[in-house]
Amino acid sequence: MRPLIDLINIDKVYDNGVVANNGVNFSVKKGEIHALVGENGAGKSTLMKILYGMEKPTEGEIWVNGEQKHFNSSTDAIAATIGMVHQNFMLVPSFTVAENVVLGDEPRKNGLIDRDAVLNITKDLSDQFGLFVQPDAIVNSINVGMRQRVEILKTLYRKAEILILDEPTAVLTPQETDDLFIAIRILVKQGKTVIFITHKLREVKEISDRVTVMRHGKMIGTLDTKDVSREQMANMMVGREVFLDIKKPKIKRGEKRMRVKNLSYVSEIGRQLLRNVNFNLYAGEILGIAGVEGNGQTELVEVLTGLKPAAGGTVLIGDCNILESTPREIRLRKIAHIPEDRLSNGVAVRSTIEENIIVDRYFQKPYRNGLFINRKVVKTECENLIEKFSILTPNGKLPVSSLSGGNMQKVVVAREFSSEPEVLIASQPTRGIDVGSTEFIREQLVEIRSKGTAILLVSADLSEVMSVSDRIVALYEGEITGVFPDASKVSEKELGLYMLGVKQQTYEEMEKYL
Amino acid sequence: MKNLFKSKGFREFLRVLIALAIGITLGFIITLFVSESPIEAYKSFLFGPLTRLNRIGDWLEDSLTLVLVGLAMCIVFTAGQWYIGAEGQMILGALISGVVILFVPLPPALRITLAFVVSAIVGFLWAVVPAFLKAYLNANELITSLMLNTIAIKAFEYFLKYYIMPEGSRTLTSARVPKDLQLPSFIPDIPILSSIRELWMKQTSVSIIVYIAIAAVIAVYYLLYKTPFGYELRTVGSNKKFARYGGININRTVLLAMTVSGIFAGIAGTHLTLAIHNRLIVGMSSGMGFEGVNIAILARLNPLLVPISSLLYGYMRAGAEVMERTTDVSRELVMVIQAVILLLVTAERLMPTIQQRIDHANEGNNINDGKIKGGINDI
Ligand SMILES: Nc1ncnc2c1ncn2[C@@H]1O[C@H](COP(=O)(O)OP(=O)(O)OP(=O)(O)O)[C@@H](O)[C@H]1O
Ligand SMILES: [Mg+2]
Repeated sequence: MRPLIDLINIDKVYDNGVVANNGVNFSVKKGEIHALVGENGAGKSTLMKILYGMEKPTEGEIWVNGEQKHFNSSTDAIAATIGMVHQNFMLVPSFTVAENVVLGDEPRKNGLIDRDAVLNITKDLSDQFGLFVQPDAIVNSINVGMRQRVEILKTLYRKAEILILDEPTAVLTPQETDDLFIAIRILVKQGKTVIFITHKLREVKEISDRVTVMRHGKMIGTLDTKDVSREQMANMMVGREVFLDIKKPKIKRGEKRMRVKNLSYVSEIGRQLLRNVNFNLYAGEILGIAGVEGNGQTELVEVLTGLKPAAGGTVLIGDCNILESTPREIRLRKIAHIPEDRLSNGVAVRSTIEENIIVDRYFQKPYRNGLFINRKVVKTECENLIEKFSILTPNGKLPVSSLSGGNMQKVVVAREFSSEPEVLIASQPTRGIDVGSTEFIREQLVEIRSKGTAILLVSADLSEVMSVSDRIVALYEGEITGVFPDASKVSEKELGLYMLGVKQQTYEEMEKYL
Repeated sequence: MKNLFKSKGFREFLRVLIALAIGITLGFIITLFVSESPIEAYKSFLFGPLTRLNRIGDWLEDSLTLVLVGLAMCIVFTAGQWYIGAEGQMILGALISGVVILFVPLPPALRITLAFVVSAIVGFLWAVVPAFLKAYLNANELITSLMLNTIAIKAFEYFLKYYIMPEGSRTLTSARVPKDLQLPSFIPDIPILSSIRELWMKQTSVSIIVYIAIAAVIAVYYLLYKTPFGYELRTVGSNKKFARYGGININRTVLLAMTVSGIFAGIAGTHLTLAIHNRLIVGMSSGMGFEGVNIAILARLNPLLVPISSLLYGYMRAGAEVMERTTDVSRELVMVIQAVILLLVTAERLMPTIQQRIDHANEGNNINDGKIKGGINDI
C-alpha cells in the first residue's frame, strides 16, 4: 500500500543560510502513530512545518494520499486534511476556548457569528474525541494541558485526518501526558494518523508504532518501535553513546546559603498557594522539589526570585531578607534563575541571542564600558556560550525566534550558568531539550554543585529530580509533606505517596533535615 | 548582492515603497472624482513643493519639526509605550521658548541657548505625570498623555492671552521675535555663500536646527542601540516579563522613555517659535506632535530612517498645502493618502502575506513566514 504521506528528498535552507533539512525522505502510513525524534535543531519542526505548508521546501516533493502537493500556505495543507499543533502554542489569549477552536472558519447565521453553534461545535468535538475542555473559558485563564487540547480540537474542527503534534508532552505533567496518550489512541481508533515529536524516548516506546530519527537535518532511518531500545534510539540521534544516568561524585555539603522560614504566598485571587514552607539550601548540594505540577512549585520559585510578593515569612541570604529585594538586587546577590516558562520569562524572542544573554549583566563591567555597551565583549562572551552549550545558530546576532525550541532553552541555561551563581534556582531546566544536551545540562548542574553552588531543582520529570538531587523535599498543596535527606535512598513509589499527600511527616520529624 | 535583496531592511523598504505607490494611486483615483481638473490638482500636489524656493523652505522646515517629534516617538514606542504626549511637550516647549526670548534680558546667543535648554527641560518634566500614573496606578499612558496634551494646549492659550499678548493687540499672538533673536540660517555666514544665504534667508527660515536635528538623529540612534539605557528600553519593549525577570526596573525605564522623548519634543517647540512662526500663536503646532507617531511608524522605529520618513511625510504635507491653495481639492485628500500608506505599512498581517505570495512566485526564494507577528504590540 502507498504511504499516506510521502516527503521525498526535502531540502530546506533558511534565509540566514541554515540548512535545516537535507535530502530528507519521510513517509507515514495511514492510521499509525509515528514518532519523530532527533537532537535540538535536527530539523524536526522544520520538516513538519513544510508538511503543514508553513515553510516552503527549497527542494523536494510532498505527496499526500498519492497526489503531489504544492502548499503555498497552511491553508492549503489544512485543505489536504493536515493539522498541526505547534511547539509554541498559537492561540488568541483573550478569546474563549470555543472561539479559538472555530477561529478563521466561524459558523454563521444571517451573516453573523452564531455564538450558540460555536459553543456546541466545541462541546461535540470535545466529547467525540475525549478531549476535555471548558468551551466558555478564556484561554488566558486555562492551564497548558487544556490549551493543548484546544489546539488539537482546532485542527479536528478543520477536518484534519493527519495530526502533527510538535513536542506536545514537553509542557505536560505526567498525568496530563497519560490523558493525552489516551486521546491520541482514540483519535487513531477513529481513523486518524498522528505524527508525534518528542525528546522523551520512554514516550516513543509507549505510544508509537514506528519511529523516525533525524540528525543534523538528515534522515537517519525509520524503524518499527518494537525493534529498537531507548539506548539504540539515543545512539542514532546523537551518533555516540548517551548515558541516561549521570555520575555524581559524593561531596560534603557546605554552609547554609539560603534559609527559607515560614514562607507563604497568597495568589491575587486570594488562594493560599504556599503554606509555612521551611527549608535551607546548602552550598554544594542539590535540593530537589518533588511534586505534581500545580502544587506551589511555580510560586515558590517566583517568590524566591523576587517576581512575586510573599504573603509572609523570610528568605535569608546571610542576614539579608531577600523578600524585600527587587529582582535586580536578588541577582546581584548571585542568585540565578532558570524559569519554567521560557517563552514568557526566559527570553525575548524578538531580541537577538546576544541581547538575551546579557540581560542580567549589561550594566556591569566588562559588558559596559563607560557610557556604552561593549559590543566586543558581548560578542566574545556570547560566542563562547554558543560554543560551550552547543547552541545551534550561525551567530549571536540572530533573533532568538530563529532558534529551534530546545536551543532557545539552551540560551536561558547558558546565561544562568555563566553568571557563576552562588544559588541557582532551576525550574524545568531540561524541558524541550534533547537527550544529549539533557545529559550535558545535568552534568553541568552536578559540576557547579560540586564547586559549591547551592541548587534548588524543580522538575516535572520525577526521574530527573531523583537522579540529580542530593536531597529531596515533597511539596503537596503548597506545603512540605516530607523530606528525604538522601535522594538515592528513596523509591519513586514512596515519594509518590508524599507528593499526593497520602503520607505526611510531622514537622518534628522533618526539622533536622530541612 | 543576494543578501541585499533578501535582507530584512530591503524588504521593509520595498514594503514602504509599495505602500507609497498604492496610496498615491488611490489618491489620484479620488481626485478624479472630486476635482474639475484632476491632473492639474494632482500635479500641484506631487510637484508643487518644488516649484518655488519658499515652498521648498516650508517643506524642509516642517520636516525638521517632524524629525524631532518622530525621534521622540521612536523612543517611547521602542519601550513599548503608547505614549503620544509629544504634542503637549512641543507646545509647552514653544511657549517657554517664547517667554525666554521675549522677556529674559540676556545677550542673544545666551538667550537662544537658554530657550533650547529650558524647553528641553519642560518637555522632560511634562512626561513625569503620565509616567507616574502609569507606574503606580497603572493608568493607560495613551489616555493620560492625550489628556495632558489638552491641558498643555489650554495652558498655552491661557498664558498667551493673559500674560504674553501685548497690550492692545487684537489677535491672539505674542509680539514678534526680533530678528537677532531668531535662529540663524543653516548656511554659515561666510563670504562665498553670502548671496545664497541671503536668498534663503529672505524666502525661508531653514535654520541651524538642521544641525541640531542631525545631531539628534545620531544621538537617539546611539542612545537606543549602544547604551545600557537603550538596551533597557528595547528589552522592556520587546518582552516586559523577560525584562523584569532579568532585573530591569520597568517603572524607571518607562519614566525615562517618556521624559527623554520630551527633550526632543520640547526642542521641536523651540524650532516652532524661533524659526517657523517667530512668535507665539494659537495652533502653531498644527498637530505635528501627533504626526510624530506616523513618522516613527513609517521609519519602523529606526532613528536613522526618521529623516527620510520625515522628508517624505513633510513633502506630502507641503504638497497638500500647495494643492489646497492653488486648486479645488482640499488637503483632506492627502490625509486620506497618508492614512492609506500608514495602514499598509503597519498592517503586519497584510504585507507579509503579499510578500509571501511574491516570494513564492519567485522560485527558490524562501522567506520566513513572519511567525513572530507583532501588529500593534510591535511598537
Ligand atoms: N525561522 C527560522 N529562521 C532561520 N533559521 C531557523 C528558523 N527556524 C529554525 N531555524 C533553524 O533551523 C534548524 C532546525 O530547526 P528546527 O526548529 O526544525 O529544529 P527541531 O528539530 O525542531 O529542534 P527542537 O528539538 O529544539 O525543537 C535550527 O538550526 C534552527 O536554528
Ligand atoms: Mg522543534
